[in-house]
Amino acid sequence: MRMLAVFEKGERIRHIGHLDIQRSVQRGLRRSGLPVAYSNGFNPHILITFASALSTGACGKREIMDVTMAEDVSSEEFLDRMNKAMPPEMQLSEARPLDQKHPALMASLRAAEYDLLIRDPGQAGKLTAAIPAMMAKETVPAMRKTKTALKECDIKPLIYELKGEGQHILATLVLTEREACKPGMLIEALSREAGIEGEEVRMLITRTALLGMDENDRLVPLETL
Amino acid sequence: MRKDELKEDLNQRFERVLEKVQKAPRYTGGEMNTAVKGWDECPLHFGFCFPDTYEVGMSHLGLKILYGLINRENWSLCERFFMPWTDMMALMEEEQLPLLSMESRHPLNEFDVVGFTLQYEMSFSNILAMLKMGGIPVEGKDRGENDPIVVAGGPCAFNPEPLADFIDAFMIGDGEDVMTELNRVILERKEKGMSREACLRNLAKLEGVYVPSLYDVEYNADGTVASVTPNCPEAPAAVRKRVVTDLNSTYYPEEFPVPYTEVIFDRIMLEIMRGCTRGCRFCQAGILYRPVRERSLEKLIKLAEKLQSSTGYEEISLSSLSSGDYSCLPELIRELMRRMKDKRVSISLPSLRIDSVLKESLEETQQVKKTSLTFAPEAGTQRMRDVINKGVTEEDLLGKVRDAFEGGWSSVKLYFMSGLPTETTEDLDGIADLAQKVIAEYFNVPKPQRAKGLRVTVSVSVFVPKPFTPFQWAAQDTVEAVIAKQEHLKQVLNIKGVTFHWHEPYVSYLEACFARGDRRMGAVLKRAWEKGCILDGWNETFRYDLWMEAFRECGLDPAFYANRERPKEEILPWDHIDSGVTKQFLWREKEKSERAETTKDCRKGCNGCGLQRWKGVCAYANAGSV
Repeated sequence: MRMLAVFEKGERIRHIGHLDIQRSVQRGLRRSGLPVAYSNGFNPHILITFASALSTGACGKREIMDVTMAEDVSSEEFLDRMNKAMPPEMQLSEARPLDQKHPALMASLRAAEYDLLIRDPGQAGKLTAAIPAMMAKETVPAMRKTKTALKECDIKPLIYELKGEGQHILATLVLTEREACKPGMLIEALSREAGIEGEEVRMLITRTALLGMDENDRLVPLETL
Repeated sequence: MRKDELKEDLNQRFERVLEKVQKAPRYTGGEMNTAVKGWDECPLHFGFCFPDTYEVGMSHLGLKILYGLINRENWSLCERFFMPWTDMMALMEEEQLPLLSMESRHPLNEFDVVGFTLQYEMSFSNILAMLKMGGIPVEGKDRGENDPIVVAGGPCAFNPEPLADFIDAFMIGDGEDVMTELNRVILERKEKGMSREACLRNLAKLEGVYVPSLYDVEYNADGTVASVTPNCPEAPAAVRKRVVTDLNSTYYPEEFPVPYTEVIFDRIMLEIMRGCTRGCRFCQAGILYRPVRERSLEKLIKLAEKLQSSTGYEEISLSSLSSGDYSCLPELIRELMRRMKDKRVSISLPSLRIDSVLKESLEETQQVKKTSLTFAPEAGTQRMRDVINKGVTEEDLLGKVRDAFEGGWSSVKLYFMSGLPTETTEDLDGIADLAQKVIAEYFNVPKPQRAKGLRVTVSVSVFVPKPFTPFQWAAQDTVEAVIAKQEHLKQVLNIKGVTFHWHEPYVSYLEACFARGDRRMGAVLKRAWEKGCILDGWNETFRYDLWMEAFRECGLDPAFYANRERPKEEILPWDHIDSGVTKQFLWREKEKSERAETTKDCRKGCNGCGLQRWKGVCAYANAGSV
């Protein structure tokens, strides 16, 4: 059987990279004593996938994993045993069994919701004030980092929603296997609009939800699909 | 600012630093199984300092044992500190941040006890750096009533003299029992408001504790030690090391902290025994950890299962100085394999000795996972191996290598030392001969039967004479001699299929100075640190030039410590520490080594090393032996 589980990447461990998070989840599964399925071969590993890698430095409120179990387990038992086996910064909030034929999480991923806490209140005000002007534009150029170079791209079509609330910028941005608008790209473009280009914007990035598309083309939390 | 505001401000600044630093997870904590005890609920706060980076420190078994042991008591709390890397040090200075604990982010100077583990000499400058960053006066004499008591233990504590200026009290020998006794004395100081001086005197009364400020050292005109004399009644003339006699009833953690990031030894370490009966003459650990004590099979199986379920690790390594000598090794491995198979846990044997009967075990090991095999013949010729009492013959080695190749292994690591007493060019050439013979064994296995991709790695380290070994009187090769030997080895080891690794000669030279240094080395250490020497165990930060300047400015000659053959009658700087093994035994061993005469394994009969003086300590001791 497959089990979908929603977990947190807490603030204290936000600098941990995705590979290390993956390994920590696997070790948590091994500590839990839950009947997980292993790959065959010389170096057996737990059959597990993650909906999306979360960047080093970012926190996650509702990150999603998909674990293949060797035997059936109830969601309650899964949650209970995993939460005893995981460190306080990586607790699970939800689990539910998935149909064997359920599409891969990554394939259904469409967008992500972010809460960007701007450390400097002055900068936060300027950035929030610049949102309407930027959103009124046809195109919003930004620089995308590829493995080898910086590439210019237009992030306007990648922004579903963008608003300011106090020191927070709340954004819903495209995130698929093929394309993505990273929070850093957004803030860079917004800084330009706000006339604070080149200033360092210190912020705490929290990815608050991963979203998929329901049959009515509405963005909904990926875990509910 | 109020106390909680100060703490919040500290936190904010620390967070800012974390955003900029490389490898931030080294500094963030919050790992699985790291104790977060209430600061105010525990009266005694112990700051455990590992004077090297997080990745090195978190690989160390002693840390895991003492961390668990101190946190197990409801009255004491233990939090970890590691040496920050240079970028972190610069950022911390910029933000005026003190060294903070991994758990609750308390500055080092808010702890009641600060304890350093001394694993190797090249971490000494980091101790000074950590004290300074932690807001604690670097030298003991400058510490006041509000400063923590700074203690240290581990193998390098057996010659505590080079650190005497910086450490208030040393714990000599096994730490498990003395740790709690020491903490109780320091708790008493805190509760009764006892003076620092009185507390140190009380500590000196504990068996295995050495308080250097309670001893006066005098020197002869030639720089050798004239006398070491206690200056108060509490200090014993000789400090006898602590020994835990029964490992089965001694504390061993049932859970280890599990780092998020990869560290050097990222696995369960199961200490199957302590000590070694082989008596290799270069080996300090072989003396310091005497006598040999085994954990029972039942205890080990229980510990392995508990540790597996508390850590989720994928690998268990059996650790000890000579795991092949464990009396029920095949049974242990078989039983661990049986129980761990479904959990996909592999079992590895790190310090494989080539003369242990392990063929059967080897076949079982690779059932789960195959790694490269390590052998340590240590020297290239039989004569040299007899000099160092490495009771291993070429036939033994080649037989084991053949077994390994037939069993489907293709990667072999060979460890050697160069610069051993009496070494000649012939002995160096012997290293290359042995490597050739290993290669021949591989090609003797029929092609379809052997695994592809032969890899023979030959590592040659520079011999460093250590205290409490039969070579404690020996001269180390000069740096020039070491370099010439390495050049020679490079030529003779230019063999297809062989990779040759050698050690940095300058580091080994400095290591030799500290290993057998006296109290005056403290001034050199302080001067070098003031000049910027830190993280000396790392190539990228080691500054030999600054170290040599420091020696010159302190008027000391490194060759006096490293390259001088010491006479029998000389008082050695560590003579007032009793390791259990007598100086007479070591001298006898030194003389035998000069005749290339071997000494038998203690299991075959007592050699009278000195431990027989301590009743009931060594299982193989014969009180009647000389």
